[in-house]
Amino acid sequence: MKATERLGKVIDNIEKVIIGKREIVELSLVALLSHGHVLLEDVPGVGKTMLVRALAKSVGADFKRIQFTPDLLPSDVVGVSIYNPKDMQFHFRPGPIMGNIVLADEINRTSPKTQSALLEAMEEATVTTDGVTMRIPKPFFVMATQNPIEYEGTYPLPEAQLDRFLLRVKMGYPTHAEEIEVLTRAQSIPPIQELEAVLTLEELLKLQEEVRTIRVDDTIRKYIVDLASQTRRDPYVYLGVSPRGSIALMKAGQAYAMLKGRDFVTPDDVQYLAKFVFGHRIMLRSEARYDGITAEELTERIIAKTHVPVQRLVNQ
Amino acid sequence: MTSIQKNKVFMGLLYVLVFFLLSEWLRPVIDLTETGHHQLFLAFVALGLIMAFFEIPWWITGPLKLVYILWFIVYVYTGNLFFTLESLGFIAQQASTSLSALLSQNWQATTDLFRTVLFFALLWMAIYLIHYWVSFRLSIFLFYLLTVIFVAVLDTFSPYSGDAAIVRIMVIGLLLAGLLHLARWMERHRAVDKTEKLLVYSVPLLLLLIASTTVAFYLPKADPIWPDPVPYITSYSGQGGSGQGSVGRIGYGVDDTQLGGSFVSDDTTVFRTEIEDGQYWKVEVKDVYTTKGWELSDEKADEQFYRNGEVVSTDFPPAEDGEQTSALVDIQQPFPFVLYPYGTASFLMEDTLEYRYDPVQQRFDTLQEGETFEPDVYEVFYNEPTYSLAALQETELEALAELPAEFDRYLQLPDALPERVEELAEEIAAGSTTVYDQARAIESYFGTGGFEYSQSDIPVPAEDEDYVDQFLFETMRGYCDNFSTSMVVMLRSLDIPARWVKGFNEGEVIDTVDGYDVYEVTNNNAHSWVEAYMPGVGWMMFEPTIGFTGASDIDFDLEIETSEPESDEMPERPEPEPESPVDESEDAADAAVGPTIGERFIQFVSDNIGKLIVATLGLLLLALMVFKVRKRWMPKVLIPYYRRKGGGSETFEKAYLRLLKQLELYGIRRAPGQTLRSYAEYVDSFYGTEEMTKLTAVYEKSVYGGDSQSVDWAEMQESWENLINRTSG
Repeated sequence: MKATERLGKVIDNIEKVIIGKREIVELSLVALLSHGHVLLEDVPGVGKTMLVRALAKSVGADFKRIQFTPDLLPSDVVGVSIYNPKDMQFHFRPGPIMGNIVLADEINRTSPKTQSALLEAMEEATVTTDGVTMRIPKPFFVMATQNPIEYEGTYPLPEAQLDRFLLRVKMGYPTHAEEIEVLTRAQSIPPIQELEAVLTLEELLKLQEEVRTIRVDDTIRKYIVDLASQTRRDPYVYLGVSPRGSIALMKAGQAYAMLKGRDFVTPDDVQYLAKFVFGHRIMLRSEARYDGITAEELTERIIAKTHVPVQRLVNQ
Repeated sequence: MTSIQKNKVFMGLLYVLVFFLLSEWLRPVIDLTETGHHQLFLAFVALGLIMAFFEIPWWITGPLKLVYILWFIVYVYTGNLFFTLESLGFIAQQASTSLSALLSQNWQATTDLFRTVLFFALLWMAIYLIHYWVSFRLSIFLFYLLTVIFVAVLDTFSPYSGDAAIVRIMVIGLLLAGLLHLARWMERHRAVDKTEKLLVYSVPLLLLLIASTTVAFYLPKADPIWPDPVPYITSYSGQGGSGQGSVGRIGYGVDDTQLGGSFVSDDTTVFRTEIEDGQYWKVEVKDVYTTKGWELSDEKADEQFYRNGEVVSTDFPPAEDGEQTSALVDIQQPFPFVLYPYGTASFLMEDTLEYRYDPVQQRFDTLQEGETFEPDVYEVFYNEPTYSLAALQETELEALAELPAEFDRYLQLPDALPERVEELAEEIAAGSTTVYDQARAIESYFGTGGFEYSQSDIPVPAEDEDYVDQFLFETMRGYCDNFSTSMVVMLRSLDIPARWVKGFNEGEVIDTVDGYDVYEVTNNNAHSWVEAYMPGVGWMMFEPTIGFTGASDIDFDLEIETSEPESDEMPERPEPEPESPVDESEDAADAAVGPTIGERFIQFVSDNIGKLIVATLGLLLLALMVFKVRKRWMPKVLIPYYRRKGGGSETFEKAYLRLLKQLELYGIRRAPGQTLRSYAEYVDSFYGTEEMTKLTAVYEKSVYGGDSQSVDWAEMQESWENLINRTSG
């Protein structure tokens, strides 16, 4: 079975639970396939948790959830070593981070210290306590959520931390018809419990390996770098996209191409993903805010004016 | 079907305009061919357009038109208003005649009726073509341009006058083109729901057109920048001669107002004559010099009419002593006049006709029942006039002042004539004491003054230059027109009445019959010379052109022996190249030993710098126009090119990029940030196709996917051709 068909099955499976959010599902898969993490930015109650749980169940992965609160400590996340009087040894009790798929709910509610513990784990896929470094089992995928409405008592993630997320997506409300369908389904038994895995973890790991083989032509690489460097030059921008952002766009592009059944990345993939990859990586000047321009809009402007490569590069 | 076609009022207006435009074609054709029944042809055009307008199916219109054509034939050729048995028989018989003539390729035998049918067929096709242009292509410019060119050409080369027609065509054509542009614009922008308002939108166009036409009509018009191109073209196309006042000019009444320029030789036979001695053959004279050439004065004189055998009266009466001889002339060109030698007494021809002699122009026009007649063979009786040398020696200069007023026009000189011409004439004539001597001195001046006979590379005088002045003082090379005109002008400046004569020299002997020589006279023998008035003696011919031997017959009857009578006896000019006025071989030899190719090239460039600049600009403009409309013709070039090329991905990629360019030219622009796929989707939605998406997917795979092996150009070709063809629309 081809990669795209397997992934299609996963998406179909998740869609049994999550209605009308195919784009978000796809993007989550893109992040999962390219060893990335997703920052979901939305109000509570639109199905974020359900999405992650469905995803975890579909790939047969271990699901963990961390509810971030102001008093959460790093050890609550990564785990703690407890002294066992019986054998007079410290035993490590792994925290909720040691799962395959982790939902980090309301990440901006906790203190920077705890945030950074999570983010370090995300970047390195390891956890260090008491001088001992432990690997987090693969695959490892974090979906963090933050509520953009509340500002009271929150600790906004610093820009450097945001860079660790591959994509930032907004869930949005379902449409009228979709919401009715949601109600219909909610009346009977929650379908999440009937969900079965359609992909094994081994298969998922193989797919992750396969993503690396998706071809990125020189023209596409150049296009990505063109876009990234445009963000650094734009007058509205205080801090542009880092090279890590360029890498993220390329990797996301590869995963997306595989999802779409192609073995090469096209400019369309790049354009589609750019606003999810660049959106949280661009720091705007206050002028942009006065003019009512968001990072997503700015990305779209840059895409519109950057020349799409249509010809093979010659002698380069 | 275009949505504009649904607006019947608008389409109706277009068809009415088309009808008028077509009738502008019909009018000159009918006029010039003297066809007649103009209205009935127009009715056919109208019928065709009306049926096209109402979109009547072809199986109705076809038979209907055929019936109309048959009816026309019956009505015009038999006079019957209806189909009778007799008339149908007539048609059948005519058809069989024409058909058999056609099959035997005997084109001459086809009947007028057959030609009428062909003409109708042509009209039929024209109607269909225009219907297609207007209704489907929404474009008329090509036809409009052709109409303008057609009328302009007819106006220039035929008796048809397009003065009014060109104004009508401009108005109709511009209106039509403007309305169609509007229609096209609406079509392109899918403003279909607004077609109802088309007529309202065209009001500004109408107002603008009326205003500009009115202004243009009343504005002063410049004179033509170029002289009449006809003589120029005919002189190169074989009608003209290697010389002098070409036959074409004489025969077709073309003027000599612009002399100069080079000639190519042309040995088309003009006439043959059986004659005792070779003679100069006179056609006509001209008397007004304009600084650029010759015109005929508007002096009126009573025309004389003569019949066969009647004795004619010219300025050169036949000699009284000696016997009249006759010459048989066989003319091979369609001249409406007869050529005559000096001392002509009478003409004789088999046909009954009149010879009209105009004493001003001195040409014998041949008329038959008031219509011009082109003679074939005629006999002319003549006795070459002789001049008494004694009488010529008596031609006193004082007598010139007492000439009657009728000689004034032979003394006319333009005000702009440079003074140095007159000074030169006086200098040449300084030692001579009689009119005859002065004339002889000027005649022989050309043989001594370093002049050169040549037909090539002779300039046309510029706006501020005088033809004679240029020849006498600057170029000093030329052919008979230069020599004869210069002599006439110099004689006139000495107050000796003189005029310019056009005709042919004696030609070449090609045979001998019964003691008569047979001379063949070709276009190369076209010639011009001089006639001057000797007071007390009469008119006398002079031949200033070097290398030519024509001369008046002088009777050496001097009683007083002078010490050196010999010097006056013979035409004194040295003859550097007797019998051979056409000396191109020598010219060529001169050129070979002359300047090098490089120098000649530089000379050529500097001589023709103006023409070269104009030509270069013209070519650039043409190239620019061709470049501007490249989207129309590029596909015609590209398709065969890529068809022949074959090959795999490389060809495909090039072809695809070509297609992108063509689409851009067509007006479907791709924004810089637009990906190929979204562009392809737009193109497909625009044309209602799926092929662009298909091609793009393959292209993406080849370029971004690096998978150029799987591309099969042959497979893609059809889609590609289909799309690129659409871009030329």
